[in-house]
Amino acid sequence: MHSKKDNKKKLLWLQGVTCNGNTHSFLNLPYLPLLLSKIELLYFPTMEALYTFEEISECKLSCDILVFEGAFDPELKRNDILIQTMLEHYSKNAEYVIAVGSCASFGGIFKASAPQRNSGLLFNESERTGPMLEVDQKIINLSGCPIHPEWLGYTLNMIINHQKILLDEMHRPRELYSNLAHHGCTRNEYFEWKVDAKGFGLKEGCLFYEQGCRGPMTHASCNKILWNEVSSKTRSGTPCFGCTEPDFPKQNFFNTKTNMSIPEDVPLGVPKRNYLTMAGIAKTFHIKRLEGKLIDYKTTP
Amino acid sequence: MITKQLLEHIEGEASVYFDIKDDKVDFATITFPHFRGMESILKGKNALDALVITPRVCGICGHAHLMAAVRAIEDAYKNAGFEIKLTQKAQKIREFTLIMEMIQNHFKWLYMVIIPELVKLISIKLEKTPLKGAYAASLSAKAIAVFGGQWPHSSYMIPGGVTSDPTFIEIMQARSQLEELIKFFEKETLGISLDKFLTLESCKDFNGFSSDLTNLEKGLIETGMHTKGFAKDQFIVLGEHGFTNSSKLKGTRTFGINSKYVSDTDAYSPQEITYAKNALYKNEYYEAGPLGRMLSQSVPLIKNMHRRYKDSAYSRVMARVFEIGYLLEYSKILLDNFDIDEDSVVTVTDIKQISATGIGVVEAPRGPLLHKIELKNGMISQYHITTPTQFNIGSSTPQTPTPVQQAMQGLAKKDALFIFRTFDVCSVCTTH
Ligand code: SF4
Repeated sequence: MHSKKDNKKKLLWLQGVTCNGNTHSFLNLPYLPLLLSKIELLYFPTMEALYTFEEISECKLSCDILVFEGAFDPELKRNDILIQTMLEHYSKNAEYVIAVGSCASFGGIFKASAPQRNSGLLFNESERTGPMLEVDQKIINLSGCPIHPEWLGYTLNMIINHQKILLDEMHRPRELYSNLAHHGCTRNEYFEWKVDAKGFGLKEGCLFYEQGCRGPMTHASCNKILWNEVSSKTRSGTPCFGCTEPDFPKQNFFNTKTNMSIPEDVPLGVPKRNYLTMAGIAKTFHIKRLEGKLIDYKTTP
Repeated sequence: MITKQLLEHIEGEASVYFDIKDDKVDFATITFPHFRGMESILKGKNALDALVITPRVCGICGHAHLMAAVRAIEDAYKNAGFEIKLTQKAQKIREFTLIMEMIQNHFKWLYMVIIPELVKLISIKLEKTPLKGAYAASLSAKAIAVFGGQWPHSSYMIPGGVTSDPTFIEIMQARSQLEELIKFFEKETLGISLDKFLTLESCKDFNGFSSDLTNLEKGLIETGMHTKGFAKDQFIVLGEHGFTNSSKLKGTRTFGINSKYVSDTDAYSPQEITYAKNALYKNEYYEAGPLGRMLSQSVPLIKNMHRRYKDSAYSRVMARVFEIGYLLEYSKILLDNFDIDEDSVVTVTDIKQISATGIGVVEAPRGPLLHKIELKNGMISQYHITTPTQFNIGSSTPQTPTPVQQAMQGLAKKDALFIFRTFDVCSVCTTH
């Protein structure tokens, strides 16, 4: 049983309709042992903690930080108890409710399995019609499919250190979601000069024009705080799928939607007409350096 | 009387309904109560969207789903008359990242599930160190991310190859993650060098040193796990890879196999609605996973184990730990022989031209994973997934028990619960 002596924050991790991806992503946090030494883990899905799920589902305990992973389904039960009942009980005394992942934030991929029922905790896609409106002030959305481990690491550390977390209008921490996935992408120069990737499997070229990259429209720090400390989707040649946004998942992920060969969506905050004018001018430049391979192992002697 | 037991700290949750007679499990049925409808989400979408959606079936083996999906699409290309020939480079990168996902899974299962559960049953000292599992897994995930951009939920395979174009620096980075992982395995898990470990030929060899591994082994013997948990003594390995032989095994004898004989039926769950299906091969139940894989490779130590302890819980657990070492060694070879001149991806016909069915089969951490796809002009008209847990943890009637049902029969409930976990259960995959 847990002791009260060191006044550590009590964290409880519950799951809705989920793939466990956020749980596993969190386990990759480089300073996980240090962080866990600063909190008291009441329950965690993949590891033994202070209580069993049976004890948790009786709804007799309380927590300071409630973490919720997965889409909210009003009919979902765990151990025969509605997850809604558990959420209501544990959010009452919690200081913060953290929605980890896009499912818990906006409905995400598992909204699609029951679109009429499933949603995020506070938002249903971008509408504020989730089940937890009453405690909206406590809710922090860490969208992403899955969450980036360091985003949760940051949020928990801020809470432990009693620091105020500035949120955007979608309740996401500004420090993590003011960047776009586009920031820090190694293909930025190609983006500026409108040089598209000639296909997949290349390090040269930008994936915005043909391959469906949502980097310039997606609030996320994936290219600033690298994944697993080493890389990101766009660095490895995969387009950004916009997984931190309320409209994830869209369709035709590997294709850029165009109208008369003009991209349907243009970078955030840029008027379309201006963007097109500028793109037209940029295209007239022919920058030799950006046209060939960066390193050509085949032809270099 | 039938009693219900909730199982947590597996991937997701399951309920087991035990019928206990004279303090022993007479029979047990298994329920997976959650459902997410992945196959229906995929219907009507562009085939390539499966590469983004299917990794989301599972947080711990999403990469295996990605690979099964890409193989299914490539098979549809082939059946439509457009065979795709991957470069060696693309093949090796795919295999390497798949192996890294298997390894992270095995480490988590060992340190977060098996050791803590075994500690509850034994008197000898065995320390619970779940974070060791997380640390080792994070090293594997880094190695995947070097090529795949991120883990979990990477989507870096596409028909014809992989999206990344690694340079020597990246290969060296992956190599150094691998070295670190091997060092960890030697120091923290084995207590001897990997080379030495891979030359062990008999279970008796565990007596010569002391480590997490030997303590685990002692714990399994102390709890009699070498005399319990026998399943069917027949195994299947379906995925085609350089590190395994696709085959059907009866004991240690191997036979040919064809994935077209895999079928599924509704699971038997009289007490509660379950969303699971049982997977069968030629209408029979087979065990899937590392024990079968290592027997299919005729690994001397595992053959010795099987001779002594058959397909007991002991053999099942030790084979999974052994597979970590086996795969680490194989990964070195993959990274060493890498032709960087080759293309990462070969050009393929536009998916819109493809109307055909395809099947993608891989060995996921827990065993064979099958994706079947049906395409009309590049759009998905049908998608069907069969997962390893459906082979191992099916729930059938007493007349035709599945591997796990058979393995739990006649035992005390506490032993049965441990044995359930020796199969490394994934509920989220099962109820995709
Ligand atoms: S690939 Fe995507 S994130 Fe990178 S520069 Fe192009 S648009 Fe931006």
